[in-house]
Amino acid sequence: MGFTGLALGAMLQRDGIVRAEEGGSSVGYPHFLPKAKSVIWLFMNGGVSHMESFDPKPMITRYGGKTIAETPFAGVQKNLEIERSVAMNAEQRNTLYPLQVGFRKHGQSGIEISDWFPEIARHVDKLAIVRSMWTTDSNHGAQTQFHSGRNQLDGDFPTLGAWVHYGLGSLNENLPQFISMGHREYWNKRDGHYLGPAHDAVPLRIDPANPLDYAKPEIPFSEEARRLDMDLARNLHALRGVEYPSDPVMAARVSSYEMAFQMQRSIPRVLDFSGESPETKALYGIDKPHCRDFGMQLLASRRLVERGVRFIQIQHGAGGAGSWDAHGGLKANHESNARAVDQPIGALITDLDRRGLLDETLVVFATEFGRTPGSQGSDGRDHHIFGFSVWMAGGGLKRGVVHGATDEIGFHAVENRHYVTDIHATILRQLGLDSRRLEVPGRVRLEIDHGRPIFEIIA
Amino acid sequence: MIKGPGFGGCHAKWMALLGLLLTNVGEASVEYLKDIKPLFSARCTSCHGALKQNAKLRLDTVEFMLRGGKSGPALEPGKPESSLFFKRVTEANPDERMPPPHEGHPLTVAEAALLRQWITGGASAPADEKPEANPAEHWSFRPRTRPSVPKVARSAWVRNPIDAFLSEQHEATGLAPQPEASREILLRRLYLDLVGVPPTVDEITAFEADVATGWYERAVRRLLGDPRHGERWARHWMDIWRYSDWWGLGEELRNSQKHIWHWRDWIVESLNADTPYDQMVRQMLAADELYPKDLQKLRATGFLARNWILFSRLQWMDETVEHVSKGFLGLTMNCAKCHDHKYDPITQTDYYKMRAFFEPYHVRLDMLPNEPDFSRDGLPRVFDGLLDAPTYRYFRGDETKPDKTSLIAPGVPDVFSFKKLEIRPVLLPLEASQPERRPWVLEAYISAARRKVEAASNAHALLKQSVMREMESVTKASVSSPTPRGDDPNSRPSASPGEALQPSANTDQKASSSVGAGARLSTAPLELRVGELALALARAELRTVEHRSEAMRSAWAREDAGSDVSKADLAAVERRDASAAIRAHQEVMAAKARHHAADAELRLARAAPDKKGAIEKELAAARDALEKAMKNLVSEINETNRFTPLDGAKWTTTRFKHPNHDDPQIVFPASSSGRRSALADWITDARNPLPARVAINHIWMRHFGSPLAPNSFEFGRRNPAPAHAELIDWLATEFIESGWSMKHIHHLMVTSAAYRMSSSASGGEACQAKDPDNRLWWRRTPFRIESEVMRDSILALAGRLERGMGGPPVPAAEQGQSGRRSLYFVHSNNERNAFLTTFDAADVRECYRREQSVVPQQALAFSNSRLVLDAIGLIATRLGAGISDDDDAAFVRRAFLGVLGAPPTGDEIAACVAALRNLRALKDISPAQPRAHLIWVLLNHNDFVTLR
Repeated sequence: MGFTGLALGAMLQRDGIVRAEEGGSSVGYPHFLPKAKSVIWLFMNGGVSHMESFDPKPMITRYGGKTIAETPFAGVQKNLEIERSVAMNAEQRNTLYPLQVGFRKHGQSGIEISDWFPEIARHVDKLAIVRSMWTTDSNHGAQTQFHSGRNQLDGDFPTLGAWVHYGLGSLNENLPQFISMGHREYWNKRDGHYLGPAHDAVPLRIDPANPLDYAKPEIPFSEEARRLDMDLARNLHALRGVEYPSDPVMAARVSSYEMAFQMQRSIPRVLDFSGESPETKALYGIDKPHCRDFGMQLLASRRLVERGVRFIQIQHGAGGAGSWDAHGGLKANHESNARAVDQPIGALITDLDRRGLLDETLVVFATEFGRTPGSQGSDGRDHHIFGFSVWMAGGGLKRGVVHGATDEIGFHAVENRHYVTDIHATILRQLGLDSRRLEVPGRVRLEIDHGRPIFEIIA
Repeated sequence: MIKGPGFGGCHAKWMALLGLLLTNVGEASVEYLKDIKPLFSARCTSCHGALKQNAKLRLDTVEFMLRGGKSGPALEPGKPESSLFFKRVTEANPDERMPPPHEGHPLTVAEAALLRQWITGGASAPADEKPEANPAEHWSFRPRTRPSVPKVARSAWVRNPIDAFLSEQHEATGLAPQPEASREILLRRLYLDLVGVPPTVDEITAFEADVATGWYERAVRRLLGDPRHGERWARHWMDIWRYSDWWGLGEELRNSQKHIWHWRDWIVESLNADTPYDQMVRQMLAADELYPKDLQKLRATGFLARNWILFSRLQWMDETVEHVSKGFLGLTMNCAKCHDHKYDPITQTDYYKMRAFFEPYHVRLDMLPNEPDFSRDGLPRVFDGLLDAPTYRYFRGDETKPDKTSLIAPGVPDVFSFKKLEIRPVLLPLEASQPERRPWVLEAYISAARRKVEAASNAHALLKQSVMREMESVTKASVSSPTPRGDDPNSRPSASPGEALQPSANTDQKASSSVGAGARLSTAPLELRVGELALALARAELRTVEHRSEAMRSAWAREDAGSDVSKADLAAVERRDASAAIRAHQEVMAAKARHHAADAELRLARAAPDKKGAIEKELAAARDALEKAMKNLVSEINETNRFTPLDGAKWTTTRFKHPNHDDPQIVFPASSSGRRSALADWITDARNPLPARVAINHIWMRHFGSPLAPNSFEFGRRNPAPAHAELIDWLATEFIESGWSMKHIHHLMVTSAAYRMSSSASGGEACQAKDPDNRLWWRRTPFRIESEVMRDSILALAGRLERGMGGPPVPAAEQGQSGRRSLYFVHSNNERNAFLTTFDAADVRECYRREQSVVPQQALAFSNSRLVLDAIGLIATRLGAGISDDDDAAFVRRAFLGVLGAPPTGDEIAACVAALRNLRALKDISPAQPRAHLIWVLLNHNDFVTLR
């Protein structure tokens, strides 16, 4: 074909407008039988303290106020060579800072979770928690790194969502297949990179009146006239088709207008919650100011998943480099951030589960890094790349398991260590994609880009 | 529904599947060429083939396998167990196994089974099996010669040799070229291609009326001479050369350079002047060594300055090596960063040899005439600042593992060493190492300081006037009426002028902060004093600039003096002037402290009680500073005192060592390594087989929509000779022999019959069946215009496109309303115009070819953006001028011609006229709107965004 990056490729092939690439491109179909259809990717900007969320560490309370050197764990600060952008947080934050929140066991599995996340904790028996993550960028470039798998010092690379978008065909031609909501920091705003902007997430706002860039005329335009215009355009293209037969690009462009027209109508419908029961709306907390925004994004996500959207990426927390970035006042910071997300996330799991969607939907809770066991200033924690937690739920993963562990003060991931692309590989695997077959000519991907599925948490 | 083949979803099932494959293998026969040879090509022959013969072994033919290497024959037909290479590829111990770790994946179980079966079956291969060709014989690595122009039967079609080369292939494959496109389409093609905006209706009609022969050539000549040509083609080369405006965190620069637009302007100007391509390359790589005094040419080094990265020298160097190689040479040297290149004769050491050319270079801003403030303007340029920086090979590309046993010198891969590289250090003129010596530098500082004195003096005069006026008005008010003045919401009544001048005891806090007239007068003497001291400070600053200039001049006089005798005298003058400069600086410190103290006093007098504490502290500090400054003024100036010289250039600081601290200052050396000019020399040498071929391919692709060699940045062995390698060579030779004139090549390409063909496949069904992808150019390939051309064309049609060229980029906030050409918009890694991005604007990190995606968001952008909706009414009015309101058909004809560049067919006119009628029948539609709607439809027509 004489054009690339054509998101409509699969559709046009179906319509017989274009021929399949010679040699059989893998694009548009899974590589093997998928377990999950969609991903809801919840990303907490700024860095969530792993010790105060999903990896409680009583030892830092017990030795609180002591320097690490004065504790039995004195050796941990030696082994820091994975760090690539040298911020030296881990060396500098020497004085253990006690846990700022309690924690307790939950569910059948008895997994410990901090008291800041009571609603998520109610679902603990559906979670697969990975407590042994590590990354290499000790600054917020790690946000990008968590999405692309590459340290920003290497450049910008396609994100997981872009690869999924590239690799999988569409389940609903009236909606974009890769959507982002919430706040993206400026260095983490794009996805496609060398795959092209056609594989960037389409940013969606929870505003039925203005949900999408250019979704409605920026200057008022009569709808009735628009309809006549569209008819004329269709007519003129058909006439042009006589002079220029077998022009796949023209056919694609005509289709793209039809699809845009459908999108313009479908998206406001997705965001119109009037058909949702009061119980559901209350479940997501959209009646409460502190979790209203996130709750609406998650309710919209469920509605998008129901309509077959592949990858929904939600970034929580604007401000600074991400609102979870608690260099000071960690307690107040995490308490209020957790209040904003906990109920909606619990609701999302409940809602997906009761609708039978959790098995085919992978919910991911991630953040760029953890926070230092040692204090920064009097009441904060610094960035920490050597050990942190993420969790996933649904999508054919095991339920109620913990995989991997950090040491006693949450410093290093010591057991079943996983780099961020292992999460990618796990997700791709569940979607039926083999990362090694997602390559484009001229772009060498490294072993570390592919990662390895975490089979221990796959059901 | 999820579509796709249903393979096992988990690991166990996957293994079962492998088992299945294995059984199947037993049944099927193994074909050497299909099943076996690809395994060798993928895993073995990069080290055991034409490129390298490790252990003296080649595996690219069965004959070589039988012959074997250092350890004897590699293959024993029929006996896999005693075939040496089979043992090595199936070895369990990873240290013994081939391919070695880091060089390739081990064979899978299935692949090993195939191999075994092939050997067991006798290891047969075709008798005429050819070994891999010598890499030096690869089509693009071979020395370039001018091929003779083929004699073809269809000679009437041939307008120039380009057509002869294409025609030869047409005849060989039974293709026939499509007829020439209509004059209107050709004109639109030329305009959009050569200047980036469509022809106006007047221009089209003029050309339609031009009955004399040669109208086309006249159009080409005129457009190539149009200054908009430089803007249009600059954007193409900006893609290839990775133009990026600066970006960072707030004001902190992180990548590229502030004021990098000077480089963009150099590109535009150079293209308009038809500066030879080889000259452009030389200037971009080494103008600082070749033309150290020429600011105009120094702009070219923005090409390298753009690679500057705040935090990482490694990334900076990697990007430089990668894109110098890809952009100029079509080589993927970046593949050899960690190990020898798998396909091309480029060793890992070659990668670091290439890096060594760039190892010494750094970036700085040079002061431009009349602007001493580097934040407002300055010339980003490169210089060799790290003359002693060593280059080492990094073990597996790991920066923390340099091989310090051998220092890597700059050099090129053996296969391209057609001449000995001569690297001679370049002695630079004084103004390179001491840019402050440029005649305008000191003058610029002095006039800026004078302007500040003038401003301070004006401000002081205004202040005096306003205080006087206020005193008068307060006096009058107290005499005539005690009521508050209504015109100033902040004013409060004053009982008497006497009270107004005294700080009032019962002044409430709010009023004191918003300074009512009375309160202001109470502090008027202080306020006037602050104004006076600000003026005094500006004057002191002017004096220090003057004294420093004087002291610098006498230092230069001493440095430049010839004889020792006068040197001693001059040194005395230098000491005297330096002392004066030091003293002048001390006076500035005193003036500053005085001004600061008075200012603090004023603020203290006006401050609310709870704010006074902080200001009191500030006041105390200012008074201390003043005391210290006064002491300094009367103390003796000794040997250790220095004055701060005025800068003529500013080194762009990096933070490689620590993210929060600047790296140590880099000085401007008196000489340059000469490495980059040697590299430029080698790249632009006519004997270098690659650069002209690569450039020709780039130019062709942008005229014709797709390239001659499929991968424009990769001319290596992975890409076999393209169908038109001879045409590339002919054009490359023509390019070099024309003195690397791009306009000559543009002219050749656009005046070829190939360029003038119709893009329609209609009537060419037989050709369409033979060559559906038009690989042999039997018709023109239609392609989408770039995002910039789209926006510029819309503005041009609306009469809103500005003609002004060059200058700082248009910031994001102003882009919506801007009428400037899109190439002048801020475009960086960080900040890109949303409309342009939707239509695949260049990725600043790498863009050797624009994407041509078709996605629904583009339809939304084109339907709904303010850009389009603002324009349609204007376009309708412009195109409708002189056409009566009831002659819709005439308007439709004009609109098609103006917007799509081609007249409508009868059916199209009928459809549009009917639609206009229907639109008019709608209620709530103004009389002008239907025609604007028609323009909307045409802008959203495929053929508006398509270069037919």
